[in-house]
Parts: sequence; structure tokens; C-alpha cells
Amino acid sequence: MKLLRVDMSQLQAHWEPVPAVYERLAGRALIAKLLLEEIPATCDALGPHNKLIITPGLLGGAIVTTAGRLSIGGKSPLTGGVKEANAGGTAGDNLGKLGIKAIVIEGQARRGGLHLLHLKGETAELLPAEDLRGLGTYATSDRLQEKYGAGCTVISIGQAGEYLMTGASIAVTGEKDQRSNHAARGGLGAVMGSKGLKAIVVDKAAGKVIPFADLALFKTASQAFSRKLIDDPKLGLQGSQHLYGTASIVAAVNEIGSLPTRNFSNGNFEGYENLKGEHLREVTLEREGKVGTRCMAGCTIACRNQYVDEAGEPIVATLQYETIALVGSNLGLDDLDKVAVLNHMCNDFGLDTIETGAALGVALEAGLAQFGDFEGILALLKQVGEGTVLGRLLGCGAVTTGRVLGVRRVPATLGQAMPGYDPRSLKGNGVLYATSPQGADHTAGNAFGARKEVNPLAVQGQKELSLRLQIIAAMLDSTGLCLFARPPVIADPQLMVDMINGIYGWGWTKEDLDRFNREVLRNELEFNRRAGITAADYRIPEYMREEPLAPHNAVFDIPDADLDTVFEKL
Amino acid sequence: MPVEIELFGQLAPGVKRRQSLTLERPMNAREVAILVGLHPDEIGLIAIDGAQSELEDPVPPDCRLCFFPPVSGG
Repeated sequence: MKLLRVDMSQLQAHWEPVPAVYERLAGRALIAKLLLEEIPATCDALGPHNKLIITPGLLGGAIVTTAGRLSIGGKSPLTGGVKEANAGGTAGDNLGKLGIKAIVIEGQARRGGLHLLHLKGETAELLPAEDLRGLGTYATSDRLQEKYGAGCTVISIGQAGEYLMTGASIAVTGEKDQRSNHAARGGLGAVMGSKGLKAIVVDKAAGKVIPFADLALFKTASQAFSRKLIDDPKLGLQGSQHLYGTASIVAAVNEIGSLPTRNFSNGNFEGYENLKGEHLREVTLEREGKVGTRCMAGCTIACRNQYVDEAGEPIVATLQYETIALVGSNLGLDDLDKVAVLNHMCNDFGLDTIETGAALGVALEAGLAQFGDFEGILALLKQVGEGTVLGRLLGCGAVTTGRVLGVRRVPATLGQAMPGYDPRSLKGNGVLYATSPQGADHTAGNAFGARKEVNPLAVQGQKELSLRLQIIAAMLDSTGLCLFARPPVIADPQLMVDMINGIYGWGWTKEDLDRFNREVLRNELEFNRRAGITAADYRIPEYMREEPLAPHNAVFDIPDADLDTVFEKL
Repeated sequence: MPVEIELFGQLAPGVKRRQSLTLERPMNAREVAILVGLHPDEIGLIAIDGAQSELEDPVPPDCRLCFFPPVSGG
């Protein structure tokens, strides 16, 4: 395998052999190690010393179902610490097949120039991209696929990334005309923008296959893994995830009182029936939209949808739970059509819908518009793309918005907005938000749905549960697996070990895999420590410890002593 | 003993989504599930008055009992 270093200061790109220290790493694991090895922890996240790391997981290119995700990472301008965000689409698989361990974007283009990186076979070329300035991610992807071929992958930023907004995401294209897979969290779009890089085009790795150390072992394990996914009651063709998409959980999260509602002021939303997955499916099928589509080739879960308007015209693909929660109930909106329009705008501007939904919720609490006032919310969001002062503030996320508008009730930890689970009534996620080196990020160890283990409203057992889930998430994010693939890997970790050994021949055991996963978290925690992040930065906001959340009148009451010792057995 | 029942997602497609039942005797969630035509193995998540519950948990009078298929976080 090889590593591509792109020096934006000199506008040069060169290949190098993978350094020994990174050889057995990929995805989130590689990002954590590279940050520790190469990035001064106290550097300005939007300055020349930060690096943007783009890397498929360990299974990238091997055509394992759900394992083609692309990890993107660096020091987060939002949290000030380590960040890994991943996206579906064709990039992870393509880079894996091309034998690319990682693309490392370094330095910073001079005089604010904007460039494009084009990967074609063995060549990597930096080209001027001023003609793409000011374009959203849809237009950027369209234009580049028109020029370089419909089969190429485009990784791009929108206006938010160009403006260095700390809520900016990075968009990744998928098969055919699929758009809007986003590595959304942590403001990595701003890091890409700070480098002066508008887009990366990766030509299709046609006919390429990765070498296998033991093809038979790999095939047996990957087929068994696929079978387990298909047979899983959550994930198979009759499962909720496939039938209703990630929106399948709207009603359940609402029922347990954890659905963010009107800036996290209630755990129940009276309009949830219009937002739930069953309704989304019904409306989509009625209008001849699509359900059960995929963000990665060969994915057996297929939780994606294409949401269309009353005339059958596509609004957005895909409409997901986190967006429905943060841009829907959190803003008092009970209409999927309206949520879809806002979702499309966020995607186009290149914005994290979680961060932006939370920022808008804070802005509504400040009185900039009323909860439920779609036109008012739309007008606010438009300003992000226009780059007005107010738009730039909203695009920088919930904490910045709260600070400027004088709102104390900001649902965030480590500078990053909380996803769609209020931690007062889902305390396992509260522990996650308050301890994960990734900040408030459900993908780092979501406790929702953990059954027969820990009562979501109880204090006891949460820290142990969170540690277990965080270790597993580190593995998923390092192998390129979708987080929904968690159940079969938990049930049979040997499958993962066999797939890795089948590809690389490392002779790993389950214990080796466990050590690998834990090392990811150790490296991330160490980077954050070096960056000056303290326990206080991770804490759940004070108001969530004091203001009871309806309907359970719950507060976040996990003692600090528990939070401070989550990783003592890491 | 009156209880309100609601079924979600793909659970028991032929069964009415919302029902008001009168239970003849105290029951747990498993017994109520069977009573409304659900197989307990199909159930992923149970909420009694909004509190995540288990099959063996007793169903109190006048409660709202919800059955969900297996679900996982988005």
C-alpha cells in the first residue's frame, strides 16, 4: 500500500511507502495515530500545521458488505481535539482498491487559492479550481463528474467549508448520480477549506482488486458476516432499518422521552407521528420515491431513501433520523417535506445537519424566529450559504451561536452539538457525550436500543456500558464498517479477525483486535490531553444537570466521579 | 384493568396499531404481547409509560404500553 502526501503550500503531491508505524492501521485508528505522530496538538485547527487525513478502513476495497466507508479526520476546529467522521459512497472502496492507505493534506494554499486534487491511476495532480468557488456540493459534484466521468468519486466542500465555518462537512458521491454522503461531524469541511482544497476527484478503480493473504479464509468470514446481517431482525430485508431507514427509531426515541424537541427543552414531540419512519415510508412510496436503497455497493442493510415532493420530484436523498430529530422536532417542525428542504440546503452548503439543527434551535430560543416557523428557519439557513454575518455565526455551530446570542441552554459537549438523543433520559449517551474523545457524537458508541443491560434512566451501569460501546465503535470506524453492522460483530468478533487475517495475513487473535480497538481510544485521549482538553471541557452542560426534562422529569445525574473513571479499565 | 396498547413498525402487520384493552388479571408485558397477537421474539423494545421495559415487567393499570420491533440507533 502507499500513502499520498499533498503539500498545499507548495502545491505538490507525492507518493510514499506507508511508514511502518502506520502499516497495520487504517480509518479512525490511522487518524488517531497520525495526529499523535505528526500534528502539534496545540496547533490552530484551521492553520497550516493541522492535516486532513482521508483514509478507507482496514476492509476498504475488499468488497465486504457495509465496509466501504471513508474516514476523514484531523484536529477539529469545533472540539479542539481529535476528529474522525466517516461517510458512505464510493470513495472508501475506490481508495482501498487503488491500494491507497491514506491521502494526507498538509500545509495551506497561499493567498486563499482554491484547488482540486485529481487522482488518476498512479498520478496525483493539483489543479486550479477557482471556477468552483462559491458552488454548493451538488453543483460541484455535477460539474466534476461531467468533466471527469460519471464513474469518478468526488469528495467536496460547499460554501460552508470555503467560509471556514466550523459546522462544515465534507460530501462524498456514491454510485450513479448519488450525492450527499457526508463526513459531517466536527467541522472537517472547514479544515479542507482552510487548506484551499475544494474537491478531490478519484477516478474509478476499474478492474482493480486488492491482494488477499488467504482468500478462502476471507471469503468464508465475509460470507458468514453478510449472512448474519441478512438474518439480523433489525437489519435484514424484513428489519426496521431496511424498511423504514434510520427514521425507524423516531417513535421509539420519542416514546422513551429522549427526542430533542424545541432546543432540547422536552423529550417528547407532539408532532412525532408525522416524522416517524412508518410515515416516511408511506409518503415516499405513495409519491413514487425510493426506499431501501444503498449508500455503498453491495450493502445488505440498504437503509437509504430518496424523499420526493408531492409531484414526485426528488428533494433529498437520504432523509435520516439525526436530521429529522435536529432539524425537525428540535426546531418544532412536524412536516417531513420541510425537513427535507432544510436537509437539502445543509447538504448543498456542506453543513453538518446535527450541528446546524442545534445551532438553529439555539437561534430560535434567542428569538430569531419561532419554533415551527418554517419560513423563518429557512431564511436563517439561507444566510449560511450567503455568508452573511448571521449566517457565518450559525454555520459555526451551536456553541458559537449560543455565545453570541446570549443563550445559555446550548446542547453541546466539547464544543460540538449533541445528536438526536437527550442525555437526560438516555444517560448512556450522556456518558458518551461527556467522555468520548470525539465529543458529543453518537457514532462513537450509541447506547440507544441497548436492551436487558442498563435502564436508560438509571445511573448504574452506564459507564461500563459506554466503555464497551466506545471500544466497539473504534473498531467499526477503523475497519470501514457502518455502525449498523455492530450486532454481528459483537456476537462473533472472530468474523472480523478472520476477515482481517484473510486480507493481510497478520495472524491476529480476538485479543489482538481488542487491543487494537482500545489503542485507538488511548491515542485519541492522549492527543486531546496534549491539546489541553480537560475533564471540564467534556462535561454535560450545567443546565442539563439542573433542569428536569419532560416527560420523565429527568436530569443528567451521572456523578463526575463515574465520568472521570470511564476509561480506567481501557 | 384498562391499558392502552400501541404497536410500531413491522410488528404484526394485521393487528390494529392502537388498542384499548381491559385486562382480566394482572399481566406482564410478555402476556399482553401474546394477547394482542405478537410473538415475544419479534419484539425489540418495550416502553411502559415511556420507560424502557422488559418482557417480564408487570403492566400497571391505566398505562400506555408500546411494542417496537428491534431497532438500533441512527
